[in-house]
Amino acid sequence: MKTISRRDFLYYSGALLSTAMFADVCRPFAGDGRFISGLDDIRGKVFKNDAPKTLWKWSHEGFLYDKLDDGKVVCGICPHRCILAPGDRSVCRSKVNINGKLYSLAYGNPCAVNNDPVEKKPLFHFRPRSMVFSLATTGCNFRCLNCQNWEISQAKPHEVRNHELFPAEAVETAQRLGSESIAYTYSEAVTFFEYMIDIARLAKEKGLHNLWISNGYINQKPLLELCKVLDGANINLKSYSDDIYRKLNGGRLQPVLNTLKTLHEQKIHLEVTTLVVPGYIDDEEMIKQMCGWILDNIGPDYPLHFLRFFPKYKLDGLPPTPVSTLTRFRELAIKEGIRYVYVGNVPNHEGNNTYCHNCSKLLIEREGYFLPTYNLTGNKCKFCGTKIPGVWDNSASRRD
Amino acid sequence: MKKNERVTLLVVIAAGISSIVVQLITIREFLAQFHGNEFVISLILFNWLILGGIGTLVAHLITPRYWEPSSSRLCQLSFILAALSVIQIYSIRELRDFFFVHGSSVGFYPTLAYIFLTIAPYCLLIGFILPYSLFVLRAKTPDYSGTRIYITDNIGDITGGALFSFALVFLVTPLKAIFIANLPLVAASFLLFSFTGKQRKYLKIIPGAAITLLLLAAGIFFEPFSLAPSEGKLVHYSESRYGRIAVHQDNGQHTLFTDGVPVFSTQNQSIAEETIHYPLAQLDNPQRVLLISGEGGIMKELKKHGLKTVDYVELDPEITAVQFKFGLIENIEGLNVINQDGRAFLADSDKIYDAIILNLPEPDTFQVNRFFTDQFFSLVKKRLAPDGVLSFSMEGYDNYLAEPQRQKLSSLYNTVKNHFKHVLLMPGLKIFFLCRDISIKTDIPARLAEKGIIARYIRGYYYGNLTKKRISDLNNLMDPNTPKNSDDSPLLMRLMFSQWFAKFSSSPVGFIAALAGLTIIYLFRIKREEFVLFSTGAMTMGSEILIIFAFQIFYGYIYFQIGLIITVFLAGLLPGALLGDRLREGGKQILVLTDGLLITLMGILILALKMGGDRLPSFFFLVFGFMVSLACGFQFPVALHLGGGGNSAVTRSFSADLIGAACGTLITSLVFLPYFGIIWATAGLIFLKLASLIVIGTPKLSNFLRRYVLRS
Ligand code: SF4
Repeated sequence: MKTISRRDFLYYSGALLSTAMFADVCRPFAGDGRFISGLDDIRGKVFKNDAPKTLWKWSHEGFLYDKLDDGKVVCGICPHRCILAPGDRSVCRSKVNINGKLYSLAYGNPCAVNNDPVEKKPLFHFRPRSMVFSLATTGCNFRCLNCQNWEISQAKPHEVRNHELFPAEAVETAQRLGSESIAYTYSEAVTFFEYMIDIARLAKEKGLHNLWISNGYINQKPLLELCKVLDGANINLKSYSDDIYRKLNGGRLQPVLNTLKTLHEQKIHLEVTTLVVPGYIDDEEMIKQMCGWILDNIGPDYPLHFLRFFPKYKLDGLPPTPVSTLTRFRELAIKEGIRYVYVGNVPNHEGNNTYCHNCSKLLIEREGYFLPTYNLTGNKCKFCGTKIPGVWDNSASRRD
Repeated sequence: MKKNERVTLLVVIAAGISSIVVQLITIREFLAQFHGNEFVISLILFNWLILGGIGTLVAHLITPRYWEPSSSRLCQLSFILAALSVIQIYSIRELRDFFFVHGSSVGFYPTLAYIFLTIAPYCLLIGFILPYSLFVLRAKTPDYSGTRIYITDNIGDITGGALFSFALVFLVTPLKAIFIANLPLVAASFLLFSFTGKQRKYLKIIPGAAITLLLLAAGIFFEPFSLAPSEGKLVHYSESRYGRIAVHQDNGQHTLFTDGVPVFSTQNQSIAEETIHYPLAQLDNPQRVLLISGEGGIMKELKKHGLKTVDYVELDPEITAVQFKFGLIENIEGLNVINQDGRAFLADSDKIYDAIILNLPEPDTFQVNRFFTDQFFSLVKKRLAPDGVLSFSMEGYDNYLAEPQRQKLSSLYNTVKNHFKHVLLMPGLKIFFLCRDISIKTDIPARLAEKGIIARYIRGYYYGNLTKKRISDLNNLMDPNTPKNSDDSPLLMRLMFSQWFAKFSSSPVGFIAALAGLTIIYLFRIKREEFVLFSTGAMTMGSEILIIFAFQIFYGYIYFQIGLIITVFLAGLLPGALLGDRLREGGKQILVLTDGLLITLMGILILALKMGGDRLPSFFFLVFGFMVSLACGFQFPVALHLGGGGNSAVTRSFSADLIGAACGTLITSLVFLPYFGIIWATAGLIFLKLASLIVIGTPKLSNFLRRYVLRS
């Protein structure tokens, strides 16, 4: 056998190593969404042959999917519409194809469970001062570079420590803790849809409210099913640019807008949240367009929250959002015609409070989760009697 | 010496100056662009060596067979080299946002690839120029000595290192330094061209020189623009001894960036309140507080406690100047600003404090790790009043504590618990550690109300965010079996390293395995003398990395000293090579002796580190570096002589040294140091040298091994 010379060896080794290194930097050109890049979008990809061999006790057959040829299945829950061959794992990491059937591996095994103030969601016009039993399993259909909960949203179900809480136990625990509602939150509830809808149906029967805190990246059919048992939602409208959605979040804008419209049509209480990321979502023109869309399509009554960004996860080279930018956006949105605009992640800002859209008087003063002033009678302004949009009740001093 | 030869050697020296200054500025640029991570330094050095080696190899392959060596070509190449140095720095700055999402951090492989891509043109050319100069000289004098070129190049390298470390780093910005460092190269090339004797030569050379100079000058002109942020505007920029400092102003908010990381912001009320009131709420009447580094808005919160003295320790005087200038830190009564390393200050001072509050970033560098070790906490304990409190924070989590982070917190918990009876972790966006010998109170809002202190963020958010359940859940998750963190075995660094890979869902294992595979194949193909050079190359670069990291561990900063360290590691090569050239007849025995010397040196290093690393003067490390490079420089001509001294022996010896150096860089920084700590990393290098001693000293055994392994 002819042996290679040292020179050749050196040359080929150098070339080989260089190729290996370039493989990653060139991925943007190849469009592999799992790689972060300034050139392409970061939408997730199906994990080939990554499913476990057998199901575990926290498995449940997919709520909505179609069978294709060769044992493949297509999930119908979110716009990714993952096509999984047997043995594959979905973009959201929670679903797998085992022997031609779609299963969720996130059913009854939440990894985060807390009892939170409703204001923390944030939901400012939904039964203030009430406590919300909040839970999440792993999984997300997005890949946000600034994810607050990446430890669970970007993990597979078996990679985390989890509680065991099947739907009946979840509802029972919420009741035991005195929570009025259950929130499906933290990671992305769309990806544990089967678990969420089963809890929500039971909770509804038991008189609890269901709150959905989500990126809104869901298909129409499952959403309509969810709306049957849903009481409130906070949808994170990450930006009003499809390009930013693709680069920063790994999703698309239009399906989220569709979700907002559907929730409005289904008369679900809705609040919208936008995280103002410096250099991306701090463009006044974009915010104006976003407000224009909201006004034209769902009207002026849904509260809009502008949240302050802090460096987090992979997006840790940007400064926090200047408070004055948030103040300016709030003023701009109010000027455009949105009636309730809030500033979040900035303590003691005027934008934490609720002012009547008719008489401009202070209705609710918020110091964090503490509400020192509450000037609503039922669902009306105490001063001018105007009906304030939202879901209110009379037990205004419940938590404090 | 003929005029032409002299000027060619001048070009070699000037290229040496350019290469070292460009290398040092490249390292600083990457530290500033990629969050000051030391691993980046080793990745740069690794790539630099590999690319330089490929450049050298290409020179050997194509010259003189396909590309006749000539002085005029050498001049043109030198001009291109000078121009590439500016382009390289601009590429590093500008292409980052092209390849990666603006503002995002970058994982291992993309960083490696980005370094490779941006430094490739310059490094390939610098690797090409050295042998090419030799061919130019050999075109006129066929037996021209290769060692002479090696020595001349060393003179340039040392000059460049000294120029940068003792002058440029203090006086000028990076692009000005590039301009200055490349002027000798342009001048020497111009001079060389004027000796070529070609007609109408100036018509050719003047535009080349002019374009190069113009590019170098343009680099300086556009420098401020290349630093301008996308958000807001740059209101301050300086290169201090410790890192790059920039202040961005955006809509009334000032943010201070050090090495590209936003560290201070004027509008950070929540963090300021938590940082100050969690620890001070524990004390009935705090009077003396020590702050190690700060956070925007904390002085305002400290003022509420009516303290007598606040000692604020910040290593870099330029940072404190900037903090006061832009209102990131307010001047309050009793405030003493101390510009000294926090750890050194605690070791020197005999003051006793009621509270010591650390405000430091995550321990992902050795510099920061040293504030979270057993040794440091024991120092802190000595400076705290009996009922005093120590507080520090780590990055928090919203709803789930992931495993690598749990390990990190557990290690910290176990380390600090060794010194305090009570340690409590408070969850949140930052996790605060409160450490005391008497019990810790968790109802912070109630304590503040008792003391009549108003902290609006804590009042409004505390009960919703820090429920009893959340606090106990977090504390119950601490694993008592996680090992402690120490200066010489930085477990936190290793965990941060794993966390970094976990964040990017990648692992360096594939790369290291591929590299190890190729190295093993290579090792079984080389001669004994080459193995000595390979191991010496690995040891020299390994020790250079060790010393860089040791500086970080014991003195806490590197940005400024990096030039000094690289210079001493070059400085020994020249006298070593001259000495080796004289004693080369000594052959194998001389190699064995120097191997023994290297092992002894490493042994001394282990002893010195064990006896008290942070008490060692920095001079010790520099002398050590010089001695190692002296031995390395010494071995080169001896091994070359043993190998026959011909053209192919030069290439083989050079390759062995270079591949060894590249492997030593990577294995020390990515495997030895994070996984085994500095002492065992040194021991690992000794083991490598022992192997070389066996190979050179016991030819029979090594032949047997080689055959046995190859057959199996
Ligand atoms: S919910 Fe998950 S599996 Fe279904 S389409 Fe979306 S990402 Fe794919």
